[in-house]
Amino acid sequence: MEQQFRVVGNSVPRSCSKAKVTGEIKFAADIKLDNSLVLKTKRSDQPHALIRSINVEKALAVEGVRSVFTARDIPGKNLLGIINKDQPLLAEDRVRSLADAVALVVADTEEAAERGAAAVEVEYQELEAVFDPVEALKEGAVQVHEKGNLLSCRKVVKGDVEAAFTSAYSVIEKEYTTSSIEHNYIEPDAGAGYVDENGCLVIYASTQNPHYDHKEVVGLLGVADDEVRIIQATTGGGFGSKLDLNVQGFIGLALYHLKCPVRYVYSREEAYLATAKRHPFVIRVKTATDKDGRFIALQMRAVCNTGAYGSYGMAVASRSAVHATGPYAIENVDVDVKCVYTNQTFCGAMRGFGAPQMALAHESQMDLHAQALGLDPLAIRRINGLRAGQTSATGQLLTASVGFQDCLDAVAPYYEDAKENWLSAPTDPFKRRGIGIGGMWYGIGNTGVQNPSTARVEMSPEGKVTVFTGCADIGQGSTTILAQITAEVLGLGHDDITMVVGDTGCTTNAGATSASRQTYISGNAVKDGAEKLANVLLTEAVDRLRAPKNSLHFVDGHVAVSIAPEIRVSVAKLAKRIHDKGGTLSWQGFFDPETVPLDPETGEGVPYATYAYACHMAQVEVDVLTGEVDVKRIVAAHDVGHALHPGNVVGQICGGVAMGVGFALMEEFEPGKTESMKDYHVPTVSDVPEVVPIIIESPEPSGPFGAKGVGEPALIPTAPAIINGISSALNKRIYDLPANLERVIEASIQAGHFRVQE
Amino acid sequence: MSKIAYIKPDSVGDAIEILADKGSSAAIIAGGTDVMVDLRSGEITPEYLVDISRLEELKGIRMENDELVIGAGVTLSEIYNSDLLAEYAPALKKSAYNFASAQIRNIATIGGNVAHCSPCGDTIPPLVIHEAEVLLSGKDGQKRIPIEQVATGPYRSFLEPHELITAFVLKPRKAAFADFKKIGRRKDLAISRLSMAVMIDKSDDGTISFMRFSLGACTPTPHRMIPVEEFMVGKKPTEKLLFEGGRLLAESMIEITGRRPSIIYKEPAVQGLFVRMLHPVVN
Ligand SMILES: Cc1cc2nc3c(=O)[nH]c(=O)nc-3n(C[C@H](O)[C@H](O)[C@H](O)COP(=O)(O)OP(=O)(O)OC[C@H]3O[C@@H](n4cnc5c(N)ncnc54)[C@H](O)[C@@H]3O)c2cc1C
Repeated sequence: MEQQFRVVGNSVPRSCSKAKVTGEIKFAADIKLDNSLVLKTKRSDQPHALIRSINVEKALAVEGVRSVFTARDIPGKNLLGIINKDQPLLAEDRVRSLADAVALVVADTEEAAERGAAAVEVEYQELEAVFDPVEALKEGAVQVHEKGNLLSCRKVVKGDVEAAFTSAYSVIEKEYTTSSIEHNYIEPDAGAGYVDENGCLVIYASTQNPHYDHKEVVGLLGVADDEVRIIQATTGGGFGSKLDLNVQGFIGLALYHLKCPVRYVYSREEAYLATAKRHPFVIRVKTATDKDGRFIALQMRAVCNTGAYGSYGMAVASRSAVHATGPYAIENVDVDVKCVYTNQTFCGAMRGFGAPQMALAHESQMDLHAQALGLDPLAIRRINGLRAGQTSATGQLLTASVGFQDCLDAVAPYYEDAKENWLSAPTDPFKRRGIGIGGMWYGIGNTGVQNPSTARVEMSPEGKVTVFTGCADIGQGSTTILAQITAEVLGLGHDDITMVVGDTGCTTNAGATSASRQTYISGNAVKDGAEKLANVLLTEAVDRLRAPKNSLHFVDGHVAVSIAPEIRVSVAKLAKRIHDKGGTLSWQGFFDPETVPLDPETGEGVPYATYAYACHMAQVEVDVLTGEVDVKRIVAAHDVGHALHPGNVVGQICGGVAMGVGFALMEEFEPGKTESMKDYHVPTVSDVPEVVPIIIESPEPSGPFGAKGVGEPALIPTAPAIINGISSALNKRIYDLPANLERVIEASIQAGHFRVQE
Repeated sequence: MSKIAYIKPDSVGDAIEILADKGSSAAIIAGGTDVMVDLRSGEITPEYLVDISRLEELKGIRMENDELVIGAGVTLSEIYNSDLLAEYAPALKKSAYNFASAQIRNIATIGGNVAHCSPCGDTIPPLVIHEAEVLLSGKDGQKRIPIEQVATGPYRSFLEPHELITAFVLKPRKAAFADFKKIGRRKDLAISRLSMAVMIDKSDDGTISFMRFSLGACTPTPHRMIPVEEFMVGKKPTEKLLFEGGRLLAESMIEITGRRPSIIYKEPAVQGLFVRMLHPVVN
């Protein structure tokens, strides 16, 4: 980079890391308010049923039970959802899945609450249930919601695919499926609350979006904005599932009625049962190339199963449609992604919002075409990979920060070396090796809708800086990066900045910690606030130093003349003077990326202001006798614009790879069957391969100091790279995730590897 | 979990007395790595937990009159680290390598592994190939039963509530080849989808002269697979023979279990793992 930075670009120690390592920090479950009551919900034991009656008498008779609430006790609007409101906090006349809550029990102890919940009697009239989204779309299918089972449909149409298929050199059509996935964040959902001296309901919660929680709880209770305050407790991961209201609404309801402290901590089983999952997809895709390997057409029909409620389903459908092409320029596109209600556990946001599912399809197709044409997998991606100046399927001209080809170039030497020295190295006669490539692009922020962030940057008359931001740090490190950005602008150290984070009582809305958006969007909002503050300080310095503004810069807590740095004045002095004159030292920052809403028929528009790009290479060894897959190494190149905190970027990449291994090989949530980590397998450290993270910096002009995002991109290319690796090892492709023992051994047998080798 | 009384007896005799007194309202707890899970899920609802984990009488691995004796209270970590087992029962030692995690190995006991009667207990196939006998102490005195009789079915034990496993007695053997292998859904902290243990000696002419083989996790209780042993003994191990032996193994398994849905995987995988495990004996 030409520009020199002092604070951003360094892996400074992360906020709270010491308190986390020493165990001093308080997560939501650690918050023990005096005399707090315990909550527990009675959940449905029917996937689909009408509620005939709810009898709470026996529950109330349980010793230690204080109250039992049902839908009738909800004073406001009993419908939740960030995009479409379709999910009651407590079921009214029907349940639509096993996760549905029917009654809320408040008790003195955990045991009493549990016994109380068990004693709530619900009389159901069973209804036929539908679990398969393709079935759910058929005529005459059971209706999960009155408006029908089709929640939404996103189309992206460009050019003429049919004409392209006719003239194509090679056409390949396949179907892919992906599984439902549990987020399995380390901290199960939890929260606690009390009513403060002003009658305000104060709720601490493990959450990714405190300002959304606030709006939702206010609506649920029908109270004024200032009667509810959400404080984000230190949050132990979320991966998207803590974007929904989990415990917050229940705590709010109990506080509203009882006015005494309460807490609710999900067991792992309840977190599995009752929170959102990743949408399973069925993807039918047909692609065509010319004789040189250039993709000329892509047609896709995909269905994603959102289960009983929408949650982020519409966003997942929308984003997946936009990402269907992958990071490739394709002239003729016809994509249709439907989001469908069924009686499964509801699905919502999960790291990647549909893009990981799409990546399985576009990366598999890429390899299939390469094979058909005798092209190298890396070469075909180079031919088709997006470059600045090209236009995406939604008609967006990509002008800058298109680092996909750079990612391919970065992986190339590892790829060539692995092909030459590793692939053919002698190994066990019953083990086969394969190298797989996976590419991805990922739009930063929400899809074609406004998604602003705000922040306040304040300086005290003594020169101390405080940033107020609603941006929830859920472990990814946004608080540290926002402090770095502020410090960079104001010539301070990152630890000179006091951060006040995620408290609706004193921070303004920064939107969700999702869509890999916080560094880019909240980073820009904070930068905007800091620059406004910097401007008044510089104006004041002009007066003091008698030098024009453009000759001044911030350094070490001072404003100095650039060519004569010894001529300087401390920021504290400037602050004091501004304050004494009645000037303002408190500035509100704002940023909303420039997007254009997508046309409902063609998807034309500008869904995102910028995109992250990545390429992973997987080296896998497959045991042809047992179906076991050993991922030896993942080389992961990521274009992040500018890595403001390289340590955080590497952390995201390694974590993403680990999650990608799970998505590729073992994870599968089966509603009604999967209960906890005893029957749901996430990778252990032994399953995580060596990771070679490579940071590519292709600065984004609209990003804060050139930054984009990496949180979700980190995961997306891993599974397709592994699947492509397995396919090349076995000469047999797997189209369904996870590629578990059963599927791999089947592929091995079909490919004829399961036999005497001598 | 409701309230449970915790009792820590001072000796095996003491423990038996308590167990005899409390009957089925008491449960033995050793490492607790199964018991705690079962308590949480409601699988068991005892009023008393009798903790035998610190009883010295249940500790130790030693040779006694040409027999290899392993106390029921020996932990998987102790098995993992035992030189005596490396020499005389290496397959058992190997079964401790991929057993759960280091933390669990530090407290989980071999007695608990066997007494829990899970079809997937990893120490059982190695015990079976050493034709282990189980020493039981109860209010009527001591008994010695073959390892294969401890489980009468999945999670169903032959033991009376007042009975306690005190030790396992193995036939030690320095076999030319011994191994344990398992397949799980991931590399660590995985319950076996299938497991097997083997010991092989060869004659000077290269034919198999001795073989003990046991299959775990596939049948309701782990089994020594005598037809497979008989088929292999007297033959020269080739890849082809291993595939044939594995085929026979899969057929013997299906004979016991019938064709359940999991067979789609287990049928080839049992054969495959057999080939993988025995491949080193092909010359
Ligand atoms: C995360 C996790 C991973 C695991 N991984 C594996 C694995 O890889 N392989 C595997 O085989 N197992 C595994 N297990 C299961 C468990 O760890 C083993 O079965 C272990 O050996 C049990 O021993 P323990 O001492 O903890 O038994 P406990 O839980 O104390 O007892 C188990 C049962 O045996 C009875 N019992 C204990 N000692 C005696 C005795 N001396 N006489 C009579 N009855 C007795 C108890 O009453 C109880 O019924 C795992 C468990 C967990 C939680």
